Amino acid sequence: MAATNYDVLIIGSGASGGMAAYTLTKKGIKCLMLDAGPPVDFDRNRVQKQSFELPFRGLGDPSRLPHVFQANEYNANQWVDEKEVPYTHDPSEPYNWVRVRLIGGKTLFWARMSFRLSDYEFKGKDHDGFGDNWPISYADLAPYYDQVEPIFRVRGRKEGFKQLPDGVFIEDITADSPATQRFTAQAKKRDIPVTKMRSSTGRGQLASSFNLLLPDAMATGNLTIVPNAVVREITVDKNTGLANGVNFLDRQSHREMHAKARVVVVGASCLESTRLLLNSGIANSSGVLGHYLHDQFYITNCVQGVIPEVRDKKAPANFTGGGGYIPRFRNLQRKEKDFLRGYAFDFSSGGTPDPKYFPLYGNALEEALAKHLGTGFTGTCMGEVLPRFENHVRINKDVKDAWGIPVLHFQVRYGSNEFNMAKDAINTMSELIHDCGWEVLARHDQMLPPGYSIHELGTCRMGENPKTSVLNKWNQSWDVKNLFVVDGSSFVTGGSQNPTMTILSLSMRASEYLAEQMRKGDL
Amino acid sequence: MQALAAAPAASALLAQQPAAAPAQPATNPDDLPKLDFSVADEGGDPIQSFFNPRQAAALRRLCELMLPIAALNAKVPEFMDFMIGRAPTDRQQIWLSGLDALNYQSETRFQKSFADISDAQADALLAPIREPWTYDVPGDPVGRLLRAAKADIRLATFNSLELHISAAGGKRPRGQGQLYWLPIE
Repeated sequence: MAATNYDVLIIGSGASGGMAAYTLTKKGIKCLMLDAGPPVDFDRNRVQKQSFELPFRGLGDPSRLPHVFQANEYNANQWVDEKEVPYTHDPSEPYNWVRVRLIGGKTLFWARMSFRLSDYEFKGKDHDGFGDNWPISYADLAPYYDQVEPIFRVRGRKEGFKQLPDGVFIEDITADSPATQRFTAQAKKRDIPVTKMRSSTGRGQLASSFNLLLPDAMATGNLTIVPNAVVREITVDKNTGLANGVNFLDRQSHREMHAKARVVVVGASCLESTRLLLNSGIANSSGVLGHYLHDQFYITNCVQGVIPEVRDKKAPANFTGGGGYIPRFRNLQRKEKDFLRGYAFDFSSGGTPDPKYFPLYGNALEEALAKHLGTGFTGTCMGEVLPRFENHVRINKDVKDAWGIPVLHFQVRYGSNEFNMAKDAINTMSELIHDCGWEVLARHDQMLPPGYSIHELGTCRMGENPKTSVLNKWNQSWDVKNLFVVDGSSFVTGGSQNPTMTILSLSMRASEYLAEQMRKGDL
Repeated sequence: MQALAAAPAASALLAQQPAAAPAQPATNPDDLPKLDFSVADEGGDPIQSFFNPRQAAALRRLCELMLPIAALNAKVPEFMDFMIGRAPTDRQQIWLSGLDALNYQSETRFQKSFADISDAQADALLAPIREPWTYDVPGDPVGRLLRAAKADIRLATFNSLELHISAAGGKRPRGQGQLYWLPIE
């Protein structure tokens, strides 16, 4: 059987690739989707197990996944094996590159936090002079957020925050626990905003490309998905300079294939997309491909508080529980601190502090844990990382993955802006906890290495100027007109908000533009 | 059965009857059987191979101090011997150098190995555990060991078959657990 000539070839099936397929196929465009991973069979691939039934009692196989802090023994097999797809970095500059190679990508497992960016991000340079503006504004993307949020069924509470625009929400009308109410009231005294968490509720067990985007795309009859297709390179017609397809390998047999299409859309996840472009030797006349890598630094449980009235189960059971979200509040009206931009928190109450926070052992530790059952109040800090040219990835030709494809080398480190921001965040959260009359059991401003948040962004950024950016404002390559990159690699700045809603919206916007260009015959 | 039990007379009648044997699912001899398998810990005892005898004795004493009775019942020293034996070199070094340091300090201060000192003497050597927790890895071998051991010994104990049997009144619990992702072909 001869392979079909497809209109559009989409690489990746996660948020960005899935949304491209969802948008393009509904407009009658024939799409081929290649993904490096297999499909998940939820009945076959998951079983119930007690901890003692696991080979390593739940401590995990000590010989694997040194960088994936999120992995535990229950879910270790869902992450990419670093021995199969390695990457390199200087030992003094570790990077945690956390990946999923399955149909649906990371949307199978994401935390579902669903926020919009604002013009504090899109026009960040106008606000504080650092870096570059995006080539689009919030107004350009707002209509797409409006369409994406109902698909993912985002629940939240409208607030009117300029720095965290409201969305098309399923209104969250649940009552806050007394602990959350007290915390919110104390924050308000310091002009620190608090809202409900905004999260995608999805359908059934999932809020994923797998169940919310791909089924609709397939129902059009215009989508062909080929799993286990590891794309090695994008091929270019030497006469026209246009992309004409890709070379890929079957994941299991390593058989090499070539797929053809009129247009190539890359949504392989931020750094896999950039790796593919770098390995293909295209789309880099600017020299910035691979540069401006940024994310959000995370400090999980940056402050561990204790609510004294819950100790020894004195408070009613519903005193704690639930949590909330503090959007960025620093540097909005004026420069007020020794850092640019800002950070957000999520917080929760009602857990029991981790044993590591008690400087005890033996029976004394067990007694302390029993005494503090359910007393915890903790916050996780998520800080904006400034996009800097020097933070980058490049190809390391000396190391190849299991399919013989050269890997990425990372050169990334946080700077004084991030460290100063983290200190301020921890001081602020500590003060808020004290304001509530609660205790601070532990606090720390040490970040995990870059990448931990799994919010890697940039390296294939959009811009107004082809000399300083890889993509134009439609996620279209300046150099290769029929090449679009629609994932997080296109970000110019990331703010402190989780990026998935923005990735989905950018992909939808770019896909609508692409469809219109194809309709007009311009592509 | 639910409809029957809902009727008062029927429920009273049921209450008078002797306890029924656990319901057995109807089986068709042509169906593939679902057998109840056990785990390695019920079939044999672990063979230790990584730590030398002095280190193993110190580890056993450390487990006993961290979670009295429970950790030894759960065969945590033997389990950690297996885990650390499989770990990368840097993690192995934390345990090897830490256990050696505990023995050295114990012999220097109390003229006995760590396995043989009293609880009060051991408490003095475990002083680093009273330092506030930070991401910074402690600089001394004992501090590094205690950071790792406190977490691992607790988890290995609470996740053990022995503790689950104890909590379930003497029988191996069967049932739900958590979702485990199998290796995906």
